Amino acid sequence: MNREGEKNTLKAAIKPLKTGVWAALFAVLAAVCVFAIVWMNAGTGTVAEIVRDGEVIRRIDLSRVTAKETFTVGDGEGGYNVIEVEPGRIRVLDADCPDRVCVRTGWLSKSRIPILCVPHRLMIRITDADGAADAVAY
Amino acid sequence: MAKRLAADALLLTAALIIFIVEARIPPIVPVPGVKLGLANIITVYAIWRVGPRDAFLILIARVILGSIFTGQMMAFLYSLGGGLLCFAAMLLVRKILTEKQIWIASVIGALFHNIGQTLVAVAVFRTVNVAYYFPVLLLSGLVTGLFTGIAAQALIRRMRGKIEP
Repeated sequence: MNREGEKNTLKAAIKPLKTGVWAALFAVLAAVCVFAIVWMNAGTGTVAEIVRDGEVIRRIDLSRVTAKETFTVGDGEGGYNVIEVEPGRIRVLDADCPDRVCVRTGWLSKSRIPILCVPHRLMIRITDADGAADAVAY
Repeated sequence: MAKRLAADALLLTAALIIFIVEARIPPIVPVPGVKLGLANIITVYAIWRVGPRDAFLILIARVILGSIFTGQMMAFLYSLGGGLLCFAAMLLVRKILTEKQIWIASVIGALFHNIGQTLVAVAVFRTVNVAYYFPVLLLSGLVTGLFTGIAAQALIRRMRGKIEP
């Protein structure tokens, strides 16, 4: 078989999909994502872990928090995040990162989707494990 | 040669301006990693109209210069990881897309950009928990990829016979 012939067989083997097929694939993917997000939002954990640069720097059992408290993490130059804790929930109240997405994310209580501050490499996640969590933020 | 250089330089300039202007707009939805990705319009256009080799150089130059000009060096790794996977995916599907399906490449590119971003985030944060954002990013990638894809499709149609060395 000559070169031209080979090219034609290759072209026949990978026919362009109809646009509708692509649209259907994207719709299925969107549906899977929506289900995944619904599942992730229905977490059961109560322990918040504040992770900075891959290290857990504080664990707080939100179910044992009785009063509102705020504390600051960071600023040995890498920026700061002011974190607020209330019974059952936690949020970033203020931060000096450029986009402030962590602040705008709002409260986190049950969701498996963590609060992220990408510029400061800070994450607040909810876990099931209760280990040695602080009852209150000190 | 000079014509091709001029075309590449023009596309790089356009991509950089779009990138820098978009970086100055506050995020519409407060989800880390979500953005329109308008500069990808130029990448799509370049792949189809000046060829993959030049498109790749334009992309890499835009990612490097864009990070320097916006002053967000942390964003560089995410841009690069996402950009490389996006580019590779768009090249692969190019062969099976017709001229009227170019927007599909943009959607697939956006999804692979999300994969790249997530991988970089897992490495930077040194935890897999950040990957819980992946379905959220994919959902946004479908929407933004469709938007930039339609824009790229329109650009290619209207620029026919213009910047084509």
